[in-house]
Amino acid sequence: MSSEQDFKPLVVAFCCNWCSYAGADLAGTSRIQYPPNVRIIRVMCSGRVDPQFILRAFEKGADGVLVAGCHPGDCHYLKGNLYARRRVILLKRLLETIGIEPERLRLEWISASEGGKLAEVIHSFVKELEKLGPNPLKEVVK
Amino acid sequence: MGAVRIACEWLGICSGCEIAILDLHEGILPILEKVEFVHIPVLVDVKEIPEADVGIISGCIENEDNIEVAKEMREKCKIIVALGSCACFGGIPGLRNLYTREEVLEKAYVTTKSTVNPDRVFPRKDVLELQEYVKPLNQVIKVDYYIPGCPPPSDLIGSVLTALLEGKEPQLPTNTVCDECPLQKERKAIPEIRRWCVDGRPEPDKCILEQGFICLGPVTRAGCGAKCPSIGVPCRGCMGPTDRVIDQGAKMISALGSIWMLDEELEIPPEEYDKLAEQLYDPVGMLYRFTLPSSLIPRKIMKK
Repeated sequence: MSSEQDFKPLVVAFCCNWCSYAGADLAGTSRIQYPPNVRIIRVMCSGRVDPQFILRAFEKGADGVLVAGCHPGDCHYLKGNLYARRRVILLKRLLETIGIEPERLRLEWISASEGGKLAEVIHSFVKELEKLGPNPLKEVVK
Repeated sequence: MGAVRIACEWLGICSGCEIAILDLHEGILPILEKVEFVHIPVLVDVKEIPEADVGIISGCIENEDNIEVAKEMREKCKIIVALGSCACFGGIPGLRNLYTREEVLEKAYVTTKSTVNPDRVFPRKDVLELQEYVKPLNQVIKVDYYIPGCPPPSDLIGSVLTALLEGKEPQLPTNTVCDECPLQKERKAIPEIRRWCVDGRPEPDKCILEQGFICLGPVTRAGCGAKCPSIGVPCRGCMGPTDRVIDQGAKMISALGSIWMLDEELEIPPEEYDKLAEQLYDPVGMLYRFTLPSSLIPRKIMKK
C-alpha cells in the first residue's frame, strides 16, 4: 500500500568507466551524501549504452534512467559520448510518442573530478521523478 | 509412413501469407508429394480443425475468436509454425497499440472519410469483441518455429517446410538485410535524417541509409534478398529483428546514433536538441512498423 508520499523512485545510472564512475568514486571517498535511490552500472563508455538497455531498464520498472559520460571532447574513446548524446536525443523522441515522459531519461556530463556534481544531479533527478510519479510502464501487464 | 498432415489457420490477417504459400508455384509439388493439407481456409472452407502434425498459423491476436482458434490449433497440432510478421511480432495491425480500442472503433466506424455514420452506430451484435491490444501469437500459445516476413518470401517458407519434412531443425538466416543488399556503401555520416519521397528520393545504387533516409536494413533479419533496397525503397523491417537484437527500433536508434550529425555538433546548443530530434518523423511508425507488440514497450502508455 504505497501512497504518493512514500514513493521512492528507482534510478538506474549508466556511468562511464573513465569519468562518471570515477566521479562517483570521488563522491564516495569525499563522503558526499546523495539519495540511495540510484543503482550505478559501470560501462566502459557512455557510447556503449545501447538504447535497448535503457528501454529494458524502463520495462523492468526503473522510474528514471541516467546516462553519464565524459564532457564532450574528453571522451576516452574520442567520440563515444557524442554517440550517446545522439542516441539519447532520438530515444527521448521515441519515449514521448510511446507515452513515457522523456524527462525520465537524462544525459549528464560528469568528469572524474566532479563528485559533487554527481550528487547534485542525482538529487535533482530524484526530486523531479518524485514529482512525475511511478513509471507508468509498471502497470502495463503484457 | 503416411503423408505429413498440415493444418493452416489464419487469425487477424490480410491473407497475404497464405497466398505466399501458394506462391511456391511448382516448388510446392515436391512438398505436396509428402504432405496432405488437411485444413487450409484459403483454399477449402472447412469449419472443424482436424488433428495434424504441423500447424501453420498466420495473423495476430486481435479478438476473442483468434485466441480460441490459436488454442485449438495448439491442442490439435504437434508443431506450431508462426507464418508472417503478424503472427511472429504483431505486424502492421500492431500499430493499433498506439490507440485505445475506443479510438480505433471510432476511426473505423465514424471518422474515416469513406464512412457516413451520423448516428454513430457501432456493430454490436454477432461481432467478435475486439481485444484491447494486439498481441503476437507467442503471447497466447507456445510457438515452435517462426517464418517472418510481410509476406514471407516463398523460398523461405519452402525451406522451412522442407526442413520439417526431413526431420531437421528449420534455420532462419542470422545475418542482416545489409549483408544481402547490393547497394554501394561508403561508410559516411549523414547531416540530417530525411523522409523518403517527402524530402526527395535516394540516388540509385548508393546506400539509402547513408543518404539520410531511415532504412532498417542494419537491424533486420536477412532472407528477403534485400528486395526493397535494391529498387531504391528503404527497408521497413518486415523480417523482424535478428537473433542478436531484442528490440528492433531501439537498435536502429543505436545505429542512427553512430552516423547521424557531423563533427561540428560540439557547438550545438542543448536547446536545439529537441528541434534536431524532430527530423525523426513518426518514430514508432518508422522504427516499429512490424514489431510494436513484441517490442520492449509493446504499446502506448495512455494517460489516465
